Amino acid sequence: MGREVSESCVDSLLTEMVSSYCDRFYANKPELAARRIEAIGFQVGHQLSERYTMERPRFSDNLEAIKFICKDFWSELFKKQIDNLKTNHKGTFVLQDNRFRWLARMSIDPSSEDGDLSQDNSAPVTENKAAQATSMHLYFPCGIIRGALSNLGIPCAVSADISSLPACELLVMECIRLYLLSYAHCIAFISTARYSFFSQSRSSCMIIVIFHPCISERALRFR
Amino acid sequence: MHFQAEESEVPMATTACFIIVSRNDIPIYETELGSAAKREDAAQLHQFVLHAALDVVQDLAWTTSAMFLKAIDRFNDLVVSVYVTAGHTRFMLLHDSRSDDGIKSFFQEVHELYIKTLLNPLYLPGSRITSSHFDTKVRGLGRKYL
Repeated sequence: MGREVSESCVDSLLTEMVSSYCDRFYANKPELAARRIEAIGFQVGHQLSERYTMERPRFSDNLEAIKFICKDFWSELFKKQIDNLKTNHKGTFVLQDNRFRWLARMSIDPSSEDGDLSQDNSAPVTENKAAQATSMHLYFPCGIIRGALSNLGIPCAVSADISSLPACELLVMECIRLYLLSYAHCIAFISTARYSFFSQSRSSCMIIVIFHPCISERALRFR
Repeated sequence: MHFQAEESEVPMATTACFIIVSRNDIPIYETELGSAAKREDAAQLHQFVLHAALDVVQDLAWTTSAMFLKAIDRFNDLVVSVYVTAGHTRFMLLHDSRSDDGIKSFFQEVHELYIKTLLNPLYLPGSRITSSHFDTKVRGLGRKYL
């Protein structure tokens, strides 16, 4: 079951997938294209996590699962580990990759429409558009991480940020569910479901409050 | 023809019932393995015992990071053994006392088959496994290891 695939094939497949969804299927609706790409990534992450956790003991902790993503999972996918992991110990993790393999061969030229290959850019408007174009390529790995973590029992929302091109930061936020105390009390199901990207100007996160009677099995354990 | 049974191998009818339960506590696959004559009430009894053992599995699964939890529950002379994957899918086997190694190998092979089923993009995770190929393979593994 451990076969390898040519990297150029993977690159071509991803580039083609992003351009099909963004330019053909959902031509003027980048939000929908992003959601579809992220959903594909979700399924792939789900399958991959099941496959790569087969040989190793199970996880007793959320932190261990995240460390698995940073080390073993990332090295199976990209032959390197995550360079930096930061957490605020309240359920948010930042995974930083200084040279993300799928962005390594990309550069942005804000002067041409097609985003051709030259390095300089200065105007903030064009920079924004270029960043958006590149950021579409990050929805797939975000979906992969989200799928892998949900299979390991950690529902979360993942978003990405590109500071300088081959480096990217992935932000993982766990969905926090509080208990249903009584029907009259409101449950804060705080989830930052973000499908839009940060660019230089950080977008604010949406907080969705929903009545949610379901209690996760881990939460049951800690009762 | 006259078969001579060795001292250590006493041929006897073996009963075994195997189910796969997804993380949402929905059974996605069930089968009767073993060579005993199938009785109607026995099948329901087996399922009942296995489902009742789910609570025990739930408690035990969090205490250890191993995948193979050995005999976790008994009912008369039948024993329940469980194997939990990282995605919290439980493989449960109800059997009369058998060697642990054989059961562990059986679980590992079924785990591989299960991953192959998951890799099918048309398979919805958490739904019933209806493939007859999977069924045939699991029965073959049951005959081989149990």
